[in-house]
Amino acid sequence: MSGDPFARAEPLTLMAEPRAEGEPEMATREGVPARLADGGRRGTVAAANTAASALTHGRPSSATPPAVTLEGVRVSFGDHVAVRNVTLAIPARQVTALIGPSGCGKTTLLRAVNRLHDHTAGHVDGSIKLGDIDVYGPDTRPELIRRRIGMVFQRPNPFPAMSVFENVVSGLRFNGVHGRALLRDAAESALRHAALWDTVKDRLHQPAVRLSGGQQQRLCIARALAVEPDVLLMDEPCSALDPIATAKIEDLITRLAADVTIVLVTHNMFQAARVSDQAAVFLLGEDRVGELVESGATDELFNEPKNPRTRDYVAGRVG
Amino acid sequence: MSVALAPSRRDLVRAAAQRSLTRRRITGRIAQALCAVGAVASVAPLVALLYYTISRGAKVLSWGFLVNAPTPPGIPGGGISTAIVGSAEIVGLALIIAIPIALLAALFLFERSGRLAVALRFSADVLTGVPSIIIGIFAYALLVLPLHAFSDLAAAFALAVLMLPIMIRADEEAMRTIALDLWEAGIALGARRGRVARSVVLRGALPDLVTGNLLAIARAVGETAPLLFTLATPAAAMTLLIYTDGTQAFPIAQETAWGTALVLLAFVLLLSVAAKIAAWRISRRAR
Amino acid sequence: MSSDSTGVLPREGVAVSGVRAALLRKRTRFGEHAYTAFRWGGAGLFAAVVVALLLSIAGSSSQAITHSGVGFLWSGTWNPAAGEYGAGILVVGTLLTTAVAMVIVVPIGLGTAAFLSELAPGWLAGPLSTLIGLLAAVPSIVVGLWGLIVLTPIFANQVEPFLASMPLLGWLFRGEAYGPSILLASVVLAVMTLPTMVALSRTALAAVPVADREAALALGATRWQAVRKAVIPAARSGIQAAITLAVGRALGESIAVAMVIGNRPALPTSLTAPGATLGSAIVNQFAEASPGLGTSSVIALGAVLLLLTVAVNAGGQALLRSGGGHRVGTAGALR
Repeated sequence: MSGDPFARAEPLTLMAEPRAEGEPEMATREGVPARLADGGRRGTVAAANTAASALTHGRPSSATPPAVTLEGVRVSFGDHVAVRNVTLAIPARQVTALIGPSGCGKTTLLRAVNRLHDHTAGHVDGSIKLGDIDVYGPDTRPELIRRRIGMVFQRPNPFPAMSVFENVVSGLRFNGVHGRALLRDAAESALRHAALWDTVKDRLHQPAVRLSGGQQQRLCIARALAVEPDVLLMDEPCSALDPIATAKIEDLITRLAADVTIVLVTHNMFQAARVSDQAAVFLLGEDRVGELVESGATDELFNEPKNPRTRDYVAGRVG
Repeated sequence: MSVALAPSRRDLVRAAAQRSLTRRRITGRIAQALCAVGAVASVAPLVALLYYTISRGAKVLSWGFLVNAPTPPGIPGGGISTAIVGSAEIVGLALIIAIPIALLAALFLFERSGRLAVALRFSADVLTGVPSIIIGIFAYALLVLPLHAFSDLAAAFALAVLMLPIMIRADEEAMRTIALDLWEAGIALGARRGRVARSVVLRGALPDLVTGNLLAIARAVGETAPLLFTLATPAAAMTLLIYTDGTQAFPIAQETAWGTALVLLAFVLLLSVAAKIAAWRISRRAR
Repeated sequence: MSSDSTGVLPREGVAVSGVRAALLRKRTRFGEHAYTAFRWGGAGLFAAVVVALLLSIAGSSSQAITHSGVGFLWSGTWNPAAGEYGAGILVVGTLLTTAVAMVIVVPIGLGTAAFLSELAPGWLAGPLSTLIGLLAAVPSIVVGLWGLIVLTPIFANQVEPFLASMPLLGWLFRGEAYGPSILLASVVLAVMTLPTMVALSRTALAAVPVADREAALALGATRWQAVRKAVIPAARSGIQAAITLAVGRALGESIAVAMVIGNRPALPTSLTAPGATLGSAIVNQFAEASPGLGTSSVIALGAVLLLLTVAVNAGGQALLRSGGGHRVGTAGALR
């Protein structure tokens, strides 16, 4: 893959955990730090893997176990259940779209994956796993989980007091990465990856809020990519943008999927059809609680939906 | 496809994140603990103030203390009735001056935008920050010097000037938050402005107006510096009495100061709590 | 309003009813004019008060300025007996007490605001802010009395000797421990400005969107890192405004300072030495001032103080307005 800035060799001296050449990439990608690991595999993984095999189409990833596995997940706020009964395997390095009308718990579910509900009144039941790691395990540190599961929000939210450069490297600094040359290189490659480098390379030290909305959102993507996440959660990232900026972000999403697992929340079915490999449809149940209705390869889901409710939704009869 | 994200940097970031986590968490814990200590330190003065004022003031507090006039130094049984009445008179007079002017000026600001309103609003905000002692000097220069007489009127004028900017801004804020939609609806229906002001704005904003004005009164009751320049005798107001008696070395005088401080504090806190409750009820009704 | 009973107006005819309507309209229009006049009157009276305040302070201090010249601002001697008047030492004392008060109040106030807005659970944050709000309602004279009678002996016997014995910083507090001192005045000022500092910084922190916090958390930041690196910088202009307005209040406080500072108009040699500020000097000198030049000189001290506080407060208000369009009046901060 020539021209990919991320393929540039790093000086070996910078490597904190040198590993032998030729070691399979998987080991790093899914490798589990000792302190993060939960006691052992539980039975749920097998079930999730079955679900995953049903999902794996499109890109050659049949050998890849799911990046994120959700098993019977339910998110509630006090007595109010926002979304329930979600069992879903999200394949690695593909785009998985969570679609459905607004108010059916897509965003709530997304925020459960990187434990953002820790800071709200939300309560998460069921099991969410990142590779083998139980995201809500007793020994799991939310900070480390969130470093590996990045997030892009609905509205562009660059840190207003920081410059473009400071925004991009902010995550690295949070995570204890310092060193001027290292931060510079990381910023450049993250910005290139977010297709923003050529636009901002001459104004890296200007306030980030001076960028346009679409540029700000790509900056937020670069900021999320800079900490080298395995998974990128995107919560309707284009909803605040104009059509041209939206097209750019969509283009970016499909290209990023080569490196990062992407979970995209959208209420725009056309967007889901354009960019996603897999899709999961969320609808409101009879008691006004959001639930997962059907999931599968995007093509199949849109062309031959199995569930009648999905069929109605896709045909535009509900939502 | 080759290794997509440069693995070395990925490893580096992961290692750094893990390595620094303990330090980051401990730093966070310490910082959070320091913030909590700060919060305790912020509440401590209030607790100490209340404790001393109540424990020392309660010793002298009695019915006689409230209703008797002060006695000459050395003669027991004196009270602070003149100071209580004096404070009430001065503040009452100040309210008669300040409330209508503030309401009308606030209506002016409410209905007008543009440079004049901006300038007026800005001067109100800046005047709020002008030290009360300066306002005392102003009243002295304007009313005491030319007339060659200290007077309740001069003191009331000073307190009115002190309250005016606070009241104007609070009144305007009250009108804006409660009544802007109603005002527009009234004007859209073709009602006259004066009528809308009376029947919609003032009535709608009334609870908020009460809250804002109560707070301004609480502040005026506790002021000392303006009275220093406008009143002839210390027994004419509670705050002045605390100042003159508190700075004397005699224990009896200090006791009177604590007793007066307790009465004053109770009154001021009561006003503040009343304002808080009013504000709380408003916000609950709005929900 | 019923004109029917007057009998003056005939009751039929199209033209006649037009007259009636015109009369009625005139009457309403009169009410409308009256309302406008009253509003303008209220605004005009307030404007007149502001102008009169500036003019009378300037006018009353003109005699002193004519006598002492512009040197009044920095001349270091205040000796009414010799007819020498200067505000220099008092300006220094005012700035020094305010600065020391801010050294105390800024970290504590900011930490408290961060605790209330970011860290404390809701059931604790609410009552705590109410209590700190109540502190704002305590009259300055009561704080002064507490400082004078309760804190003075504690400072003389414990705090000041302890501070003087500290390594490295001890020299700041050397000299005899009297009790009444610049330090004690600063502590009293800190207590009095704390509620302003806490309320305004808390408002500024709370105005930072949740999205900024979550952006930091989602990158792997700890909760404190999110507060320190994302929330506090985003609230910077509001926090600056809080500090500026606290400074404005500290500069202008007179009565409580006069009770605890020791009132010695001399250049301070140590923070534990007695001193004097513009406000405390006005309180102490006013009664003794000789009519004419003496009084005018005391009022001139007030003019200097007015200039100082208006400059600081205007700056603070400008900062408040620049802070993302979030409007907070000073009165609102005291609620």
